[in-house]
Amino acid sequence: MQNNVLEVKNLTKNFRSSAGEFTAVDNISFSIKQGDAVGFLGPNGAGKTTTIQMLLGITNVTSGSIQYFGKDFFKHKQQCLQRINFTSAFNTLQGRISVWENLIVFATLYNVKNPKEKIMNLINYFNSESLLNQRYWNLSAGQKTRINFIKSLLNDPELILMDEPTASLDPDVVDKTLSLIEELKDKRNLTILYTSHNMNEITRICNKVIFLDHGQIVAQDSPLSLTKRIGSAKLQITFDGDKEKLENYLKEKRTTYSFIKKYIVVINTQEKDIPGIIFGISKSGIWIADIEVKKPTLEDFFLQIARGGISVNSKN
Amino acid sequence: MSTQRIKAIILQELYITKNSLEIIIDLFYFSVITIVVFGLVSVYLTGTNNPLSAQYILVGMILWEVIRITQYSISVGALWNIWSRNLSNMFVAPLTLSEYILATMIAGMIKTGIILVLISVIASFLFKFNILSIGVVNLILALVNLTIFSWSVGVIILAIIFRYGQRIQALAWGLVFLFQPLCAAFFPVSVLPEPLRTLAYVFPPTYVFEAARLGLVNHSTNWNAMGVSFAQNIVYFVVSLLFFNYMFNKSKDIGQFAKNEG
Repeated sequence: MQNNVLEVKNLTKNFRSSAGEFTAVDNISFSIKQGDAVGFLGPNGAGKTTTIQMLLGITNVTSGSIQYFGKDFFKHKQQCLQRINFTSAFNTLQGRISVWENLIVFATLYNVKNPKEKIMNLINYFNSESLLNQRYWNLSAGQKTRINFIKSLLNDPELILMDEPTASLDPDVVDKTLSLIEELKDKRNLTILYTSHNMNEITRICNKVIFLDHGQIVAQDSPLSLTKRIGSAKLQITFDGDKEKLENYLKEKRTTYSFIKKYIVVINTQEKDIPGIIFGISKSGIWIADIEVKKPTLEDFFLQIARGGISVNSKN
Repeated sequence: MSTQRIKAIILQELYITKNSLEIIIDLFYFSVITIVVFGLVSVYLTGTNNPLSAQYILVGMILWEVIRITQYSISVGALWNIWSRNLSNMFVAPLTLSEYILATMIAGMIKTGIILVLISVIASFLFKFNILSIGVVNLILALVNLTIFSWSVGVIILAIIFRYGQRIQALAWGLVFLFQPLCAAFFPVSVLPEPLRTLAYVFPPTYVFEAARLGLVNHSTNWNAMGVSFAQNIVYFVVSLLFFNYMFNKSKDIGQFAKNEG
């Protein structure tokens, strides 16, 4: 049986300002099981970062509870923090000191047994021997990301919170970083809470996604199930024949469509209607040269939420 | 409280100090240059038949460095981590606030100890002024009192930085100098104009500097002044910790602590 590594209940955060009270996180509840990789998604201002900050104890909660490994985070903060770790593109290590010195400091902070051996094992694992004596601020963005990962693994965490760990990295380094995360997840059975704006990353890394919007959870499911909720798809047909005849057919079927080239039409339809439309077009005497079905992605789901197309009342 | 985590913060302070030219200049270079300049002024004053004033300046300067360096170490130590966007990393480790503050206090004491010895030796060799001439017990009591006072000032500035962020970071260097004239570091309190003279006795270092100057003359320990200073220091220290706790919580309430790193 999988245990809950993290359980959040009715978490709320209100901020007061001269403009009034603003609810950044509005009564959210979710849990993460051991070995899960959960994507935490939402448009800017959805409340992701505030939630992560509350989960790490660097922002106070207004109400609600957080439990790590069955323990109340507010009562057993040090014990909980000892078993988790955090990495982010926005938080770096101390730039003035060397990589080795940084890692020694954090290994001591986490009370790691045999810190030098532990650091060397991780350094070797990440092929970062040449970086050890370099000042942290002299490293490239990709190298910093690697060292941040090493720092986040020093205490053998059971859960890692990753806040946009690949932000501002070039595509090659992003790919390597994601491969690394996948490897860590598989080999160490790590539990991951991963925030990103990049839907492809989330689809690649996560087996579960939590969507936040305006501080509320609007959906939580697997990436595949979420995309299935959209239902609509785009059917792109390259044809040879009478364009007018095709348009008449599409109007008759009451579909929305657009011609992106003279002989290429993109039809917005429901996934289930695609076979019927292809059959109908063929039957009306138009020769279909090529068919491309563009299924909805997590990004489409994200866009629907961002544009208000999915209500809070949809299935959680 | 974990000694390992306290050790980690002290270790980081040590690494940052040895790798940062700015800190070496702010602490070691500035202290050495100051003692040399004030030493030369004291030589001049000695030549103008005012030897006691010369000694006042040197004793004031050496003791003032205790306040400056300890406070700097506490307040600016956090800024190095804020500028590096590393403070959050440290506080998402199982580090408690009391461990962090205690570690920065100890690190400040270590730096102060090293610099105090260095500038005392310089004063002794170049200007024939022995800091022990205020009396060993007087010196120990002075160091204890000045250290506690600078902890309080450092913690208050740290609290303000945590609450308001980098925009008020200049306080980390500048605020402490407000106390230099108010505590009559280099001259007798009687020199101050009346409203400031009364105000001066609100601050614990005033008693220490007065006692140190008296020690130069009569080589006795001024228990009364040191006692008043210590009692005031206890109040200041407790208030500074309460203030820090309040401001830190406020900072976490409004989300400022997480935003401190930009």
